[in-house]
Amino acid sequence: MTDVIVVGAGPAGASAALTAARAGLEVVLLERGPFPGSKNAYGGVVYGRVLDDVLPGWYDEVPVQRWVTRRSTMVLTDTQALTVDFRSTAWGEAPYNGCTTFRADFDSWLANKAVEAGAQLVTSTVATGLLVENGVVVGVTTDRPDGDLRAKVVIAADGVNSFLAKQLGLLPKTDAAHLTLGVKEVLSLPREVIDERFGVRGDEGVDVEILGCTRGIAGGGFVYTNKDSLSVGVVVSIDGLAKSGIRPEELIADLKAHPAVAPWVQGAEVKEYAAHLIPEGGYDHLPELSAPGFLVTGDAAGLCLAAGIWLEGVNFAIGSGLAAGKAAAGHVQRDEPLTSYKQDLEGSFVLQDHKRLRKAPGLVLSDRVQQQYPGMIADLVEGMFTVTNPTAKPGVLTLLRRSAKKHGVKLRHLAADGLSGGRTFR
Amino acid sequence: MGELVVVLLRCTDLRPGVDPLTGAISRDPRASALSASDAAALEHGLRIGELLGKRVLAMTAGGPETEAPLREALALGAEVRRVPVTASYLEELAADERALAQALVAALQGEVPDLVLCADRSADRGTGALPAFLAHELGCAQAPGLVSLELTPDGLVAERRLDYGRRERMLVPLPAVCSVEGAGVRLRRASLPASLQAATAAVPVADVAVKPGAVRVVRAGPSRPRPRHLPAPTGTSRERLLALTGALLSHEPPTVVGPVGAEEAADELLDFLVRQGYLSEARTGWAVT
Repeated sequence: MTDVIVVGAGPAGASAALTAARAGLEVVLLERGPFPGSKNAYGGVVYGRVLDDVLPGWYDEVPVQRWVTRRSTMVLTDTQALTVDFRSTAWGEAPYNGCTTFRADFDSWLANKAVEAGAQLVTSTVATGLLVENGVVVGVTTDRPDGDLRAKVVIAADGVNSFLAKQLGLLPKTDAAHLTLGVKEVLSLPREVIDERFGVRGDEGVDVEILGCTRGIAGGGFVYTNKDSLSVGVVVSIDGLAKSGIRPEELIADLKAHPAVAPWVQGAEVKEYAAHLIPEGGYDHLPELSAPGFLVTGDAAGLCLAAGIWLEGVNFAIGSGLAAGKAAAGHVQRDEPLTSYKQDLEGSFVLQDHKRLRKAPGLVLSDRVQQQYPGMIADLVEGMFTVTNPTAKPGVLTLLRRSAKKHGVKLRHLAADGLSGGRTFR
Repeated sequence: MGELVVVLLRCTDLRPGVDPLTGAISRDPRASALSASDAAALEHGLRIGELLGKRVLAMTAGGPETEAPLREALALGAEVRRVPVTASYLEELAADERALAQALVAALQGEVPDLVLCADRSADRGTGALPAFLAHELGCAQAPGLVSLELTPDGLVAERRLDYGRRERMLVPLPAVCSVEGAGVRLRRASLPASLQAATAAVPVADVAVKPGAVRVVRAGPSRPRPRHLPAPTGTSRERLLALTGALLSHEPPTVVGPVGAEEAADELLDFLVRQGYLSEARTGWAVT
């Protein structure tokens, strides 16, 4: 019998193991891959400030590709692109803001911190189920011979499709409505070419979030710069993708061929292709986060913030993992109830942000925002900057009415969505 | 006869990254694993060791990244030992397999094993020569490239593939060095308690050094040339076919000049060549006269 079993050595699991091990507990960290991060995929930006307290100076040793110093938000139509571009030199200095990194590197680094704290990492081992006695989780079964392992607390950090949480009924068996599919290509390009095309130097990197590049399927796209490669991909609603009959790689091909993106990726060679489910249900669709002897954290708990301009997962995984490890330690050492985990999360950014932005997924993934607004905004801006002399310049309101009408947007809908957006992001 | 069945394991990144632009290969030490042949060698070793009632020693030659497979072997009941080799990529290109065989035998610390098992070749750039060098150093028999290895009342019976689908069965005298293909065995997995125990166990490192190779490699080019960018063809396949064959292009119709005599035929040919620009008038005049 061990104190804590953590299933999954991703950011949530490694953080939970780190906190529990530092509290003096005996921790076993199970990982199905040959090493942490070997099977994980994500878009590409980690916001590591959540580690400030637990790993001071983390930025000096994290396996970074580039520090994101430039953040762009793009609205695309087939022929137009509008970009809001922001850059800050402060993001390129300690304590930094976000970085691009590869999960194989980042997850291994974080899991190693847990091992240094005393957790025992067991790789190439799949937790196949939970051991439940009298309604209390008392351990896990694994795919190894003689593979039952008992513990006082089991923390499920086994990812978005958590079989352990499903076994307890915390997650529905299928939930396509609240999941999106992220697909990405890693494209090889020489470092100096990336620096030149994206206007960066040294370790500076760029994060580009894109709306209107998914053929009307609810979702968006992204381009991230790594040292000598680009991560290019889309995140789309599974329901929408299924109804459209479009294959996800076609959407990436579209994005790469867009006139605003093609010059960035010209001459690049595909190095890697990855796909991953993302829980985007938000606060209103979070599962129960604990059961007797059991905690669920990270993607397994749906703790991924998908709020339009904010798309963050790893920092929420780490934040929730740290809280899960703390709750497990309180339970084992002081017999505190595991429900303290949720209370702890309610007091932290993890659930505060989810709660405040609970309406964001519905708004951002709505038909108008996804299908009508990109074209309307692009036409409005094109109208503003197109010089039509000898005709006099039209007023902005005239242009707005004209482009709204062209794209079937009623001004009252625009006002309603503006109000809703204001309330959501206030 | 010795007391050991030794299994020599080669650990390497089985799926190294290949930069699509430069062809440069990058190996991730975290992804170091046993090839199918190495895993089969370990399984044969454990099985035969059990049947002979002898200790099984699993050895790798490499850096600390090779300890993960050794821990798996440890969890399966083998003794383990690592021969420290920290060669760079270029040094490995010039590696002297005889020197490696000598180091591996030295790491046995004077023990003479009944049976040495290894993969028929390493997964990265193996020549398959190591088993022969080992047999030479140990002064024992060798049976390379085996697909099955059975202990019978007559002794150790090995089978290997031959050309044209034939197979060869051999009685292998012990002590021997046998190399095996990744086939014909069901691999066992270590139990969870044994894995947990092995995860923190120390892996002994042999106090031997591998002599550097006589050849020094100073530079290695990419493993394949950089791919050329070819523009995608334009037009339909029919249009491209027509352009290639010139089927619908206007051209001079054939001229029937005969039957004529030899001189007239020669004049016709020379006129044709002049018309096409292959001969000048002056040269024609000279040729005709």
